[in-house]
Amino acid sequence: MSKSRLTEELEHRGISRREFIVFCAAMAAVLGLPEEATPAIAAAVETEEKPILIWLEFQDCAGNTESLLRAGHPTVADLILDSISLSYHETLMAAAGSQAEDVLAKTVREHKGKYIALVEGSIPTGADGGYCTIGGRAALDIAREICGNAAATIAVGTCAAFGGIPAARPNPTGALSVADAVPGVRNLINMSACPANAENITALIVYYMTLKRWPPLDQYRRPMFAYGKTIHDNCERRAHFDAGQYVEAWGDEAHRQGHCLYKMGCKGPATSQNCPVVRWNEGTNWPIGCGHPCVGCAEPNFWDTMSPFYERLPNVAGFNVGSWIDPVGLGLTGLVAAAAALHGVGEIVRHRVGLGPVSEDGSET
Amino acid sequence: MSTLSHSGDRDGGLERIYVWELPVRLSHWLIAVSIVVLSVTGYYIGHPFINVPGAARDHFVMGTVRAVHLYAAWIFTAALIVRIYWWFAGNAYARWTDFIPVSARRFRSLWNSMLFYSFIRRDPDDYPGHNALAAGSYAMIFAVYVLLIVTGLVLHASEVPPGSPFHVFGALAPWFFGLPMARLIHHVAMWVVLIFVVVHLHFVLLASLIERVGTFESIFSGYKFFPRKKPR
Amino acid sequence: MTHIVVDPVTRIEGHLRVEAEVDGGVVKEAWSSSTMFRGIELILKGRDPRDAWVFAQRICGVCTTVHAITSIRAVENAIGAVPPPNARLLRNIIMAAQTVHDHVVHFYHLHALDWVDVVSALDADPAKTSTLAQSISDWPLSSTSYFAGVRDRIKAFIERGQLGIFANAYWGHPAYRLPPEANLMAVAHYLEALDFQRRFIKIHALLGGKNPHPQSFLVGGMATPVDPDSQAALNMDTIAALHKVVADGLDFVSRVYIPDVLAIASYYKDWTTIGAGIGSYMAYGDYPESDGAHPELFIPTGIIHNRDLSKRDTVDHGKITEQIAHSWYDYSVGDDKGLSPFKGETAPHYTGPKPPFERLDVAKKYSWLKSPRYDDKPMEVGPLARTLVAYNAGHPSRTKILVDKVLASLGAGPEALFSTLGRIAARAVETQVLVENMGRWVDGLADNMARRDYRIQDNSKWDPSSWPSDCFGAGFHEAPRGALGHWVHISKGSIVNYQCVVPSTWNAGPRDAGGQPGPYEASLVGTPVVKPEQPLEILRTLHSFDPCMACGVH
Ligand code: HEM
Ligand code: HEM
Ligand code: NFV
Ligand code: SF4
Ligand code: SF4
Ligand code: F3S
Ligand SMILES: [Mg+2]
Repeated sequence: MSKSRLTEELEHRGISRREFIVFCAAMAAVLGLPEEATPAIAAAVETEEKPILIWLEFQDCAGNTESLLRAGHPTVADLILDSISLSYHETLMAAAGSQAEDVLAKTVREHKGKYIALVEGSIPTGADGGYCTIGGRAALDIAREICGNAAATIAVGTCAAFGGIPAARPNPTGALSVADAVPGVRNLINMSACPANAENITALIVYYMTLKRWPPLDQYRRPMFAYGKTIHDNCERRAHFDAGQYVEAWGDEAHRQGHCLYKMGCKGPATSQNCPVVRWNEGTNWPIGCGHPCVGCAEPNFWDTMSPFYERLPNVAGFNVGSWIDPVGLGLTGLVAAAAALHGVGEIVRHRVGLGPVSEDGSET
Repeated sequence: MSTLSHSGDRDGGLERIYVWELPVRLSHWLIAVSIVVLSVTGYYIGHPFINVPGAARDHFVMGTVRAVHLYAAWIFTAALIVRIYWWFAGNAYARWTDFIPVSARRFRSLWNSMLFYSFIRRDPDDYPGHNALAAGSYAMIFAVYVLLIVTGLVLHASEVPPGSPFHVFGALAPWFFGLPMARLIHHVAMWVVLIFVVVHLHFVLLASLIERVGTFESIFSGYKFFPRKKPR
Repeated sequence: MTHIVVDPVTRIEGHLRVEAEVDGGVVKEAWSSSTMFRGIELILKGRDPRDAWVFAQRICGVCTTVHAITSIRAVENAIGAVPPPNARLLRNIIMAAQTVHDHVVHFYHLHALDWVDVVSALDADPAKTSTLAQSISDWPLSSTSYFAGVRDRIKAFIERGQLGIFANAYWGHPAYRLPPEANLMAVAHYLEALDFQRRFIKIHALLGGKNPHPQSFLVGGMATPVDPDSQAALNMDTIAALHKVVADGLDFVSRVYIPDVLAIASYYKDWTTIGAGIGSYMAYGDYPESDGAHPELFIPTGIIHNRDLSKRDTVDHGKITEQIAHSWYDYSVGDDKGLSPFKGETAPHYTGPKPPFERLDVAKKYSWLKSPRYDDKPMEVGPLARTLVAYNAGHPSRTKILVDKVLASLGAGPEALFSTLGRIAARAVETQVLVENMGRWVDGLADNMARRDYRIQDNSKWDPSSWPSDCFGAGFHEAPRGALGHWVHISKGSIVNYQCVVPSTWNAGPRDAGGQPGPYEASLVGTPVVKPEQPLEILRTLHSFDPCMACGVH
């Protein structure tokens, strides 16, 4: 879009050029970019061809779609009308049935290797594909085609990124993450969390449109700008953790005073995401902010490795080791000590009855 | 050797044998002390039973405990590295070959020790170094040490900035199915070590009081005392 | 006879496929199938019941709180935990916020495009649109220049050639009947509602940390501490913020949503005679106004049989069963039987065609949805069911007043409610009633704080050692889409069996062993289809239920 057209359009929407630049600067801050990046962002938002996005839903709950609707800067209306072209999104698109599938086929045909695929939900492999079909096609088949031909794939939410809840024990449908279902997929980025935070999704899109590259990733292919630190490291209750001030019961004085939720099972120390910093719903609040522990929703396998959610240590395959390891450890140590004492008594007896080792001078000890 | 004490060549008197060289003794005590500190602080990290009143700024209980745990962990790790180096550089009793019952002689020693401790055999195995049973338990506990260090480093990696050299250990997290499982393994390993310590102290005391070869003192002085033997 | 397949049904949550036989421009028979299964009931087995809500909540990210609350109620029922008054009020506010939000998003973003032609809006005269808007509401965003701005924005968007989510739809379809001005007004409100929903659901962030999937529920209460003297608890600042958002919500619902529904409905009055379906309606009731085992409910419970508004039956949860004669599951007792949820089984067994496929074999099993039945009969649940029950009960009195107003504006009698349009109207009425009452529950919280009642949780039942070693519980809730129940069997502190019978399962389920169709299937019969290759009318009736397949199958 030409500059004048953008300006015109912004005016229609009651947004001055100044406000637009302020927005771009805010975006730069979210992305941790220097202030000089602001014009680049502005230029990127104003470009002629909008990047084409295809949003696929498989074994999902649409939580990430709903999350996208909560985006504050840019809002979803700004995104889909001005910045991107969302060619396919089952929950939002006007067309249905074969008309919808035609749009998908046409987009892939005409923009092969250029569009960005976003995937919400895991991909089942069981029942010969029967656990998830769209338009009569198996999810795996669709994922391989659409992600396989994309310039980049963004797995939105923990289900798509790591398998999520469908893949939780016993994984009844053989659910896989995008990475596992479409091996070798190009430029895969995992925007985990359950759901992914709207601000992070939009920040990633703006990052790409502005800098024309994808951000550095952590060992789970998550962008560093959103997953580079643990919850615990930025938590507003951290001072209470370090001091030794913990909530012991729901609603107790410590809970009301905002003390640390560590003893209530908080998984903040094991979870990487920027929740304490960007918070949720345009900075309104976040889980720990409202008094509930983090359940680790951005981590691989968190349904199995972070539960029981109200205990600090995980429940391994039905053996809730965390809850009994200390009494059992202490008990075993005691038992071993008792056995040692008994053995010692045995040794003493053996000496008394003269069956001990022969000593250096030949006498019995 | 057991043949020695049995068959009655008893006129040679006591022989003083230098078994534990300084690095062995030093690493032993650094490891022993740091394990006590690590276990106490580690238990507190797992169960912060002190809940301090007042303003957060006036206290640093967990912070202190965690710092102590971490310093102790570095001492522990350094001592273990020294000891592992001595597996290759030390005397025969310190070498790695003494920890793994690979030779027939070590197997016999293992068997003999087991029989002795089950009151079936009258005489203890009388090798000046670790008897094979003890050595086996040490080999196992060394493995647990490594596990503790690796899981500890994985946990530590999650709290250092990306620039830190320790950040790289974060890449090992998937080996342990993520941080919570790494914590659990770290925690369980602590109990394995503590159980070992009880057994270990028992046998050390037993060896000193019953076998009377100066086992107890040896880890301080380095020397054990054995009946003088004929050249082998 | 033309065989129509609509797959995917879009602008819904999840994976719905509908097949229909159309003859003479009218649907003769229809089959509803959901084509995605995850197995969350199976995944819940062996877990800590206190964790169950976190899992169950992920059944759906659209009606995000409803499975959390129902799960918690089921577990509380099993172990005997009693949430304190603050928790009840917090839950009522959260539930109402969810329903209001869901209904607004449904009307504007999931349903409106069935009635509103976006392309036609370009032909609208902004001045006339302004006149129309001002004639139906005093909503301030109604000037000529405002509507001109919206029109130009859409125009610029379309001229840029990348139509995105609006591509390849049914624009220009003969079933669209709104004049361009009404279309433009609706498009403007489509965009405003996008902003509104984002602001309104901050209630969930205030009380639950985030949305979707707020994270402040607890078996036995809520995790949000209440203390007017703490900055880390729900305090007067929160109360003020809640009041502000609620007022904003009341404003939007009464000045935009309700007038839009009435305005659009006035062009589509024939849809009060289409889409009725099975005609029996069930509501469990919800929004406890008092504490304890048998609280008074703000939204009443009951069953209306066979469109007879003069009688209201009571709900006996023991009469609920689920059948699988046409669903891809096995039952140990035989596939032609029904099972009560406490004995419920979820044994997936796909026997449908191997994908890719063109047609389902509807004579056999054809859906992942089960067929819930009440006393062996299908029931429609949802806003219409609740509204009809409340209309009959005469309480809340607002419901009757508002329904009568809507009927008067349509110039129709109560029988008009049994229809596609009836569902839309009932949803709007219910939104208004709920948003009007949210402030009352917020005040209730403030009153408790004034009394220094800061309790949020029944801690006596937190430790599993305080539970019976073997226990059963059921929890019920009126979710946006209707009557929701979870049933749980707990043994030695962990879950042995977990069953959810969900609104969209009631409504979208396939035929049962006796061949009785589910509500979707029944309601589509008789729906006109002008252009079988563009089945817009089928979408209208389906969307009037607000389908959610992640819920329906889970
Ligand atoms: C004998 C050696 C060790 C013992 C017995 C020990 C014990 C423990 C225990 C019981 C915990 C608490 C686990 C839990 O329940 O959350 C812990 C935490 C931890 N340990 Fe160790 N540990 C040992 C060595 C190490 C080493 C070598 C490191 C290396 C860096 C280390 C680093 C950590 C860290 C980072 C934590 C987590 C602290 C936190 O989350 O705040 N530990 N340790
Ligand atoms: C936390 C406590 C302790 C741990 C983890 C520990 C561990 C070990 C280990 C791993 C060895 C093998 C040494 C090597 O070859 O490097 C060893 C040997 C030995 N330790 Fe300890 N030790 C502990 C405490 C003690 C104490 C308190 C004593 C006695 C006062 C003691 C006496 C000995 C003796 C005498 C040996 C040589 C035993 C032999 O001949 O096999 N240890 N200990
Ligand atoms: N059907 C359904 Fe739900 C609702 N409302 C839940 O129980 O949508 Ni996602
Ligand atoms: S990651 Fe969470 S929010 Fe997203 S689809 Fe999966 S369950 Fe839903
Ligand atoms: S509440 Fe959780 S994340 Fe915050 S300091 Fe405590 S343990 Fe860490
Ligand atoms: S549960 Fe998830 S939303 Fe943030 S605070 Fe924890 S990562
Ligand atoms: Mg079910």
